[in-house]
Amino acid sequence: MKKYTHNEITILQYIFLIVGTQMGVGFLSLPRVVAEKGGTDGWMGIIIGWILSVASSIIMVKTAKKFPNDTLYDLLIRFFGKILGKVAIFIILGYTLSFSLIIFINTFLYIKAWFLPNTPDYLIVMLFSIPVLFIVRNGLRVIGRYNELIFYMTMWLPVVLLFPLKDGSFLNLLPLFKVGWKSISATLPPVIYSFLGFELVFFFYPFLKKKQYAIHGIIIANTLSMFFYLFVTISCFVFFSPDSITDFNQPVLSMLKVIEFPFIERLDVVILNILILFSSRSWILYMYCTVFSFSQLMNKQDHSLYVPVLLGLLVIGTFFVQPTWMQVTTWQKWASNAGIAVAYVFPVFLWIYSWGYEKFSRRRFS
Amino acid sequence: MINLRERGAFHIFFSGLFKRKRYSKYQQTNQNVYSEKLSSIDHFPLYPDLSMNIQVLQQMFHHAPDLVIRHFEFAGKGTKAVLVYVDGLTDKNSISNNVLSALMQSSFDPKKGLPTTVGDVEDVHSWISIEHALFAGDSALFIQGETKAFLLDTKGWPQRAIDDPKLETSLKGAHQGFVETGSQNVAMLRRYIPNRELIIKELTVGVRGKSKVFIVYLGDVASEEVLQELEDRIKQIQMDVIINTGELSELIEDNPYSPFPQFILTERPDAAASQILQGRFAVIVDRSPSVLIAPVTVMSFLQSIDDYSTRWLAASLIRLLRFFAFMITLFLPSTYVAIISYNYEVIPLKLFLSIAESRVVVPFPPIIEALLMEVTIEMMREAGVRLPAPIGQTVGIVGGIVIGQAAVQAGIVSNIMVIIVSATAIGSFIIPSYDMGTAIRMLRFPMMLLAVMFGSTGIMIGAMTLIAHLISLESLGTPYASPLAPFRFADMKDSFIRFPLWKMITRPKSVRTIQSNRQGKPKR
Repeated sequence: MKKYTHNEITILQYIFLIVGTQMGVGFLSLPRVVAEKGGTDGWMGIIIGWILSVASSIIMVKTAKKFPNDTLYDLLIRFFGKILGKVAIFIILGYTLSFSLIIFINTFLYIKAWFLPNTPDYLIVMLFSIPVLFIVRNGLRVIGRYNELIFYMTMWLPVVLLFPLKDGSFLNLLPLFKVGWKSISATLPPVIYSFLGFELVFFFYPFLKKKQYAIHGIIIANTLSMFFYLFVTISCFVFFSPDSITDFNQPVLSMLKVIEFPFIERLDVVILNILILFSSRSWILYMYCTVFSFSQLMNKQDHSLYVPVLLGLLVIGTFFVQPTWMQVTTWQKWASNAGIAVAYVFPVFLWIYSWGYEKFSRRRFS
Repeated sequence: MINLRERGAFHIFFSGLFKRKRYSKYQQTNQNVYSEKLSSIDHFPLYPDLSMNIQVLQQMFHHAPDLVIRHFEFAGKGTKAVLVYVDGLTDKNSISNNVLSALMQSSFDPKKGLPTTVGDVEDVHSWISIEHALFAGDSALFIQGETKAFLLDTKGWPQRAIDDPKLETSLKGAHQGFVETGSQNVAMLRRYIPNRELIIKELTVGVRGKSKVFIVYLGDVASEEVLQELEDRIKQIQMDVIINTGELSELIEDNPYSPFPQFILTERPDAAASQILQGRFAVIVDRSPSVLIAPVTVMSFLQSIDDYSTRWLAASLIRLLRFFAFMITLFLPSTYVAIISYNYEVIPLKLFLSIAESRVVVPFPPIIEALLMEVTIEMMREAGVRLPAPIGQTVGIVGGIVIGQAAVQAGIVSNIMVIIVSATAIGSFIIPSYDMGTAIRMLRFPMMLLAVMFGSTGIMIGAMTLIAHLISLESLGTPYASPLAPFRFADMKDSFIRFPLWKMITRPKSVRTIQSNRQGKPKR
């Protein structure tokens, strides 16, 4: 039985969905965070993080492959029964919701700090909700198209980072392995946080049209993100001196500030606006997954009703509570830990469980 | 494979139907009264007695001074007969030469058929078909002793000669435009595609004035699914009468609340034929000179048929220019407002100084200045459209003086604003489709409001909302933003850049054609 035939996504859309979820606003501060732990060898952490995330993604796809038409909800109900499954899906729902909120608020704080310091919070959130409402209520196919389009529209972003490199020095990167493996592995938590997003493959998989390419797709997606992060980090390391990079909160933005064209003096302002487009993919997807799981919990086929409710709650929430940078940083730390649990521990557990489940049920039926 | 019966399409389609449902009650009563009257006429049979038939006719067509009832006798046995036609809808030459003179010089024999030289002759047995035929320009012949009437094809209503299309002027293409007669429009398409796979489906729309609607497509190319959807929607229309194709397009479009046109209306047969060859459908509405093309993508509105007969490099450059003009019209005034009121650090200092210099005497904030000028130019354009040409020029001159000189000298607006308004206006003229031009002209006002409230972030959010709307929009169930999202590389050959014709061997994928190769051969 195929429930989701009307919302199928192509393999390219599947890749861009995963890439879109992985790239939020985290890359702006990633070079600094990595440099704090591992110095200029920090970029190696990104490669290790990539290996881990690819491994975990493959395990996820392998698990999902056993029940190709099940969403995460169906899968959990099948494995753990009605009550435990619903509890599990409720936890996942909380996880996606908090991720969506954290990325959303992060973007919102950037915009507020840079452009609209005097506008009330709830007005900005209301403004942001308009496009989100238009996209999220439409289902995965339209979100897939959105991700695809934004990917092509923002492909030129890394090219811009090449401009300041003429003032940089590649000697900054040498010598390699000067801090030792311990420091390099200390960079893993923030790196893993930037790779988070592939765990949503459980949500995308049943919609994928050509399921035989699912593993190829997820590896390509992770690799694209890895190259992007690696490129951003290394270009920052080359541009800033090894000691001063930790002084900048968002080294990427500081680096962009240097670029000047005859017709645009401050490219960072333009890029920060494009960042809304860039990071919107991530929070829109997490929000979709939240609303989708919620509608399944409620046994409704149509998720579009809950989108305005959720956004309305968000606007009302920001009317009373004004989030700050400090709060978001704290939340991010919790979310990062939860992310390790959901994206690395949970899939392995689920894979082993599914293996046992298959054996057990086969014995029972034969 | 994208399914038409997807929930999204359904949802949009039914929200589209909603608008029709509100009016349907009113139409329902109207239709009932009318159909009761019709059925009461239909109760009468066709009598063998001529005078009885004339009585029924006179009862049917009361207050119709243009109805001509001509009594005459056949030669030979002298059988009595009556010829009925509507004066003005018929061709007088044909009636007197081919019908009356032919009939009166020969005798009538029921076994042999009518001795007339008219092409199309039909026997009918009901009054309703007689009524329809009379109003379509046929003449009806009643003969003493016959319980049927003969319909003779003598159509010849007043019509315009075929001339240059008015709205879409042609540079290199044909100089024939569609006219108000459906059958002639069909013939014009046949001239371009003389192929037996060119299929013409006839439907009737409207309760009171039955408009003939023809769906024209290539039978071995166009998608069956899309045709079904199009036919269903046309059949569901409940209206008194369809006057113009524009009305039909509003009644069958996927999302009537969208600012964007979802079908192309063209008055050029070469453009329509080219679209049919790409696998699309042309819908001809009798009495309307514009033809509807469906399904389309947002890119189709930036293409012109002349692109294909211009050299491909030049055509590509013009395509890019159109796209640029599209962006300019949509975003330039709002960007100006955002930069002047919020993000002045983005532009270089020297440019900022020259803007500041010209703005220093202006007493209004940028948004008032922009709105003032944009509304003025919209008013001038609207005034110029409907005025006869000599007066229209006056509007242009007056407007030029007001906008170009007086307003700046009086210190109401700045020079920079004048440049921006003119660039916007010219940009919107570059869009080949009038409907698309109107859509983006309208959309730049909300963009300006967003810009004044939230600066560049507002513009970004506005653009995001537009993207979100465009990618969820559908035209007859096919994705509207097609070559971009979902991305289709093969279709990109005919979008921003027009590839050389020999490279464009496939038909657009968004139309979901059965036969994907343009030459009618399978792909190598």
